[in-house]
Amino acid sequence: MRDIGRALGDPKTYAAETVRQMRNIGVDSLPLAAIVAAFIGAVTAFQTRYQLFGGVQLSVVGLIARQSIILELGPLLTGLVLTGRVGARITAEIGTMRVTEQIDALETLAYDPIGYLVVPRLLAAIIMVPMLTILANAIGVATAFATAILATDVTSTDFSEGLRLAFSAFQIIYSIIKATIFGAAIAFFCSYEGYNTTAGAEGVGRSTAQAVVITSVAILVLDALTALLLAPYLQA
Amino acid sequence: MKKRDDVLVGIVMALAILVAIVGSLWLARGGLSKGYALYAKFPWSSGLKQGQPVLLAGVNVGYVDGVELRQDGTVLTTFRVGKTYKVPQGTVATVIPNGIFGDMAIALTPKGPNARSIPPNDTMQVGPSAPGIAELTGKADSIATSVNVITTALQKELVAAGGVTDLRKAMGSSNALILNMNKLVSQFSAVAAEQNRQLSLTQASLRKATSGVDSSKIDSTLKNVRATTENLALLSADFKKTSAKLDSVIAKANSGPGSVGLALNDPGAYNDVRSLIQHMDSIMVDLKKNPKRYINLKVF
Repeated sequence: MRDIGRALGDPKTYAAETVRQMRNIGVDSLPLAAIVAAFIGAVTAFQTRYQLFGGVQLSVVGLIARQSIILELGPLLTGLVLTGRVGARITAEIGTMRVTEQIDALETLAYDPIGYLVVPRLLAAIIMVPMLTILANAIGVATAFATAILATDVTSTDFSEGLRLAFSAFQIIYSIIKATIFGAAIAFFCSYEGYNTTAGAEGVGRSTAQAVVITSVAILVLDALTALLLAPYLQA
Repeated sequence: MKKRDDVLVGIVMALAILVAIVGSLWLARGGLSKGYALYAKFPWSSGLKQGQPVLLAGVNVGYVDGVELRQDGTVLTTFRVGKTYKVPQGTVATVIPNGIFGDMAIALTPKGPNARSIPPNDTMQVGPSAPGIAELTGKADSIATSVNVITTALQKELVAAGGVTDLRKAMGSSNALILNMNKLVSQFSAVAAEQNRQLSLTQASLRKATSGVDSSKIDSTLKNVRATTENLALLSADFKKTSAKLDSVIAKANSGPGSVGLALNDPGAYNDVRSLIQHMDSIMVDLKKNPKRYINLKVF
């Protein structure tokens, strides 16, 4: 952490690489995040409709779909999906550089390996995971809307009414905060595992698998902690 | 390649930021248009928050833009109404619950059709807030207390004071009464059936008797009665004539100069008759005393 703080003081080292990593983490992951969000939105709307008991307003479908997707499913599933796609790649890249002694070479050439390898990935993940989460939320809500109207007896008016019921802008901010924390966790844990890889190619594979597991568990724990800390503000 | 990365990253970021802003505005306001501002000072805002809907006659026309607690204890609420909507003069603003999840809304209730509308930035009249959950719970509590009092009283009267036993006895008596009434009704039914049977028999007899009557005899009887009636009428006329004649004879006797009239009307004749009777009485007396004076019977 101290090395990261120190490396942040030299933007020339990581600026160009950060953009490239933003492309890798954000732009290239968009189709996968969009597909996951679309199916999650559709299933949420469909299941919510058929879990309602008689007499409940159908606008509840919109409300529950919005709350589920924006507050929980959007950021969490985007984080978990990116752990598999982006986190594994980060660990494998850095781990391979470690076992092939490229990192040692950077140090020999007076490059800061933390600033050149870790910081760009960390910044890219912190910036792009919230962006992907916002888009995933929008896609999830849109597919929930379409599913509710096309596949159930919920009308567009019902869904829109529920979608706007008890909405506050903090719900979006809450989702972005979660996504930012998840992005940081993905980049941090995966870079850490890659940076500390040992024992050749086998070690890279082990580190990659371990990074995915640790990051996934960390995301779930952070999700719970975030909910504990921030959920009271949602009520306010 | 590097430039392409920059462009793609920029597009995705711009798209995400745009989606976040537009989505938030749409969810909070129902659109991107800001509308015009109106104000209302509520004594109690019932947890009104920014972004909650404003309903004019039940139609969503805007959103709550700000809620500020003022020093005087009132809540100054700023809300924005879409430019296409006009709020009629005299409209009253109230805070109402919106849905079952504790969401609130401002309800604008017009007093009636009015061509004049409230101008932008004006402060509206406010009405009483709709009862909240706490008030409803309080009312429910008071109802529950009343029910409890009634239940206690009923328990005291019906259970402790033996009201239920009395009720059971009364129900037992009622059952016996109903049984007796059932018997009585069955007896009445039997009597009615007997009466009905007798009536049927009487009707049959009457029908039989009616069928036995000879109508030609009745006709001849009626003709005889009619002839008798005519004879009686003639007799009555004759009687009237005779009566009239008798009246004229009596009138003549009363007023006429004839011997009958004089005998009836002349006091002298009356006196003569009277003296005659007196003479005859004295003769009779004398005859009884001295029969030989008058009767000298000689056989040989």
